Amino acid sequence: MKTVAVMFGGRSAEHDVSIITAHIPIIDTLLASAQYDVWPVYITKDGAWYCDKQMNDLSFFQEADWQQKLARMQKVRLNFDKGLTIEWPGFFDRHIKVDVAFPAMHGTYGEDGSLMGVLRMAGVPFVGCDIFASAVAMDKVLTKQLLEAEKIPTPPYVWFTRGMWKADPETLRREIKKLEYPLFVKPVHLGSSIGISKAKDEKELENAIEVALHYDDKILVEQGITEMIEVTLPIMGNDDPRTAHVERPLNKTEFFDFNDKYLSGGGKKGQDGANSGYSQIPADIGEKMTEHVKEIGVKVYQTLGCTGISRVDFIIDTKHDKAYVIEVNTLPGSLYHHNWKKAGVSNMDLVSGLVRLAEERHAALKDTTYAFKSDILTKVGGAKDQK
Amino acid sequence: MNFFKYLWTRYHPNYVRALIYMLQANEYYPFEYMAWYHRTNDFYNIEERKHLVYTLKAILLSAFAWISLVWSFASSAIFIYWSQVPGIVAAIAGFILAPFIVPYTLFLLIVFLNALQKPVEAVIVSRAKAKLKRHKAIKIAVAGSFGKTTMREILKTVLSQGKRVAAPGGSHNTPLAIARFVKTLAGDEEVLVFEFGEYYPGDIKKLCNFVEPNWGVITGVNEAHLERFGSLEKAAKTIYELVDYLKAKSGSFSKGSLQQEILGYVNAEGTYQPPRDPSSFVYYDKRGTPSWEVTTVESSVNGLIIGFAYNGEHYQMRSRLLGVHNVGPIAAAADIASRLGLSPEQIGMGVGQTKPYEHRMQPNLDGGVTWIDDSYNGNPDGAAAAIAFLKSLEGSRRWYVTPGLVEMGSRKEEIHREMGKKLAEAKIEKVVLIKNSVTPYIEEGLKAAGYAGEILWYDFGPTAFNALPKMTVAGDVVLLQNDWPDQYE
Repeated sequence: MKTVAVMFGGRSAEHDVSIITAHIPIIDTLLASAQYDVWPVYITKDGAWYCDKQMNDLSFFQEADWQQKLARMQKVRLNFDKGLTIEWPGFFDRHIKVDVAFPAMHGTYGEDGSLMGVLRMAGVPFVGCDIFASAVAMDKVLTKQLLEAEKIPTPPYVWFTRGMWKADPETLRREIKKLEYPLFVKPVHLGSSIGISKAKDEKELENAIEVALHYDDKILVEQGITEMIEVTLPIMGNDDPRTAHVERPLNKTEFFDFNDKYLSGGGKKGQDGANSGYSQIPADIGEKMTEHVKEIGVKVYQTLGCTGISRVDFIIDTKHDKAYVIEVNTLPGSLYHHNWKKAGVSNMDLVSGLVRLAEERHAALKDTTYAFKSDILTKVGGAKDQK
Repeated sequence: MNFFKYLWTRYHPNYVRALIYMLQANEYYPFEYMAWYHRTNDFYNIEERKHLVYTLKAILLSAFAWISLVWSFASSAIFIYWSQVPGIVAAIAGFILAPFIVPYTLFLLIVFLNALQKPVEAVIVSRAKAKLKRHKAIKIAVAGSFGKTTMREILKTVLSQGKRVAAPGGSHNTPLAIARFVKTLAGDEEVLVFEFGEYYPGDIKKLCNFVEPNWGVITGVNEAHLERFGSLEKAAKTIYELVDYLKAKSGSFSKGSLQQEILGYVNAEGTYQPPRDPSSFVYYDKRGTPSWEVTTVESSVNGLIIGFAYNGEHYQMRSRLLGVHNVGPIAAAADIASRLGLSPEQIGMGVGQTKPYEHRMQPNLDGGVTWIDDSYNGNPDGAAAAIAFLKSLEGSRRWYVTPGLVEMGSRKEEIHREMGKKLAEAKIEKVVLIKNSVTPYIEEGLKAAGYAGEILWYDFGPTAFNALPKMTVAGDVVLLQNDWPDQYE
């Protein structure tokens, strides 16, 4: 039986969403398969690591006193000797060797490549995108710059940091004026639509920038499209990616925000984790546009070097019949299992498929040479250096 | 080896509860309970599928068991103490022996209680018998190893279109259960349909003498409960006690009565087929009956569309029952109904109202997945019918989930290998097996027949049921075949 460590929580604004993703569908499905020994690794908002099988049940995090219970648990530490080992320090040495890590952390320190870096260092197979794709996709500006370089359509934009805004807001305002309203103001590193605002005029723009800067130090101001629909495309695979259905979020508010995605929708959240009542699957955008979106989606996936699973978000300019890529999400909330299920991939196939893809990528990495013999150390301090 | 491994479970506080639960699960049949006790080592993991229900009987038995445990401990200790053994040794010996004594004291108590209960039951049954004797309704008895409840429900539904019909609900097929039902009769019913349960040789004869049926339906004989009967012949002999009774009574039927035409109906599709007697009985199968000939059958997850030829006319009838194995029973019901004076239109209306009975090929559409609950169907013919039904649904991804069949006696290997072979031939995409003493034979059958699908193993039924919604997608068909009660390994 393989030991799988599902890692969730973390120092991120999407901490709570991560708990949902970890349990529905990942932990629930892994446990239901009866083929894996599942260890939940929970990282607090302060960065403390805990691992206890009580946390395999989502209800643990729904109890009123769960944080008191957590405080009574022993923190764990990681050992990278010949793979990843989770250790409970103490008189009685307890440890488990992890066969596959399953990151379920959205946003900073998780989805941004930080956790992937740790897992790469440990030399353990891990599910989802590797460090490089994760880091690029986490930065919406970097993603757009890469897409532009590959001539993949993406809406016009202006970006700046908190420092740049403080130092010279007027220049930035002038740059922004070149864009057409409505504008979308986004924290560059956050997902789940947190901190995103739509601005229809300058006054709303100022307010939107203030909100976004509250969440991030790098901001993207992106030109909106007046006659448009949003669609999203989950993709899965390593070298040979496959797509799920093109999905259209059915916005209740003016744009698709955190509440729409996870909380509203007539109480249809339930077992799906993500709100299953908010979207149209497959999106009614015509066969030609569907194929076009899928084609671009796969190109984006491969350009960023995504592996395991990702989701590419688009807007379609319905007036000009053109699709623009907005961003890439390397850990879709709840893995978008509701979409995959409609595309004929059960939760079990999805989760066990991701574990298999992680192992395949790890095996392929073994063929890559990362070190070579060098005599540089013996030469340091020699005649040349003493001169 | 397992005896020593699980010895501690006899000293666990839940030990007494396990014994009472198993008495309840075995319907307080003392010998079945003892058979379970003797083959069981682990008394800790007992209530896996169901739980003890604290009825008054269960509470009193629990109290008795605990008193008995203390008494066993004390008496063993005293006995050993009197045998000049030091006190502490006697006490330890008493503690060790007590859990081995209690199961037998419970057994003796149940035997005693059953003996006490018998005269009371006899009075209840005799009163019901007297009431039934006065009742003018035509009494139809349904007996067989399988398909009794479905046949009873089809008859009740179809005949209700033109007659006042009553039948006991659930699986009420013992003398006491039938007696309770008789008490509820208004007296103006025109047809009464009874399901006769067979547990031991002589059971059907007893029920015949109690109910005095005018007509009988034999739904078939197969290996169901083979363990209790020992052989298929003995099971058949018990079930055919109904035929013997009807034949013996045939002389007493008045001239020109329906019973003079025929004595009953026999399913010609069962595993066991004794010599036929077409002069007294109508034989039915998926081709219908001599009067109600089946011309066409369409089967789907929505039910059946059956074409009948009757008296030179053609009739098309729809039923929500699943599987072509229901065509024969529907034809038999149509035949009975027409003999009782119902018009083909009334019969068509009745057939249209037939639907799957609880846990018997009962479909439910959830999340685009069709779940077919056949968990009360645990006999080889029923399993074969279910597999044949799945086979007809080619195009959907099909799942067959089973813990195998219980009480198959000496034929368990052969029957389960055959199930595996049939599943392989039907090209069922996924077979989910629950680990126990018989499912490895299904796997053997699958492999021997070159099964190309996927076999998934689960330790327990509930674990598999929990996993299935996560494994399935819209369009899948999942058939849950049989339940595996806790008293079996």
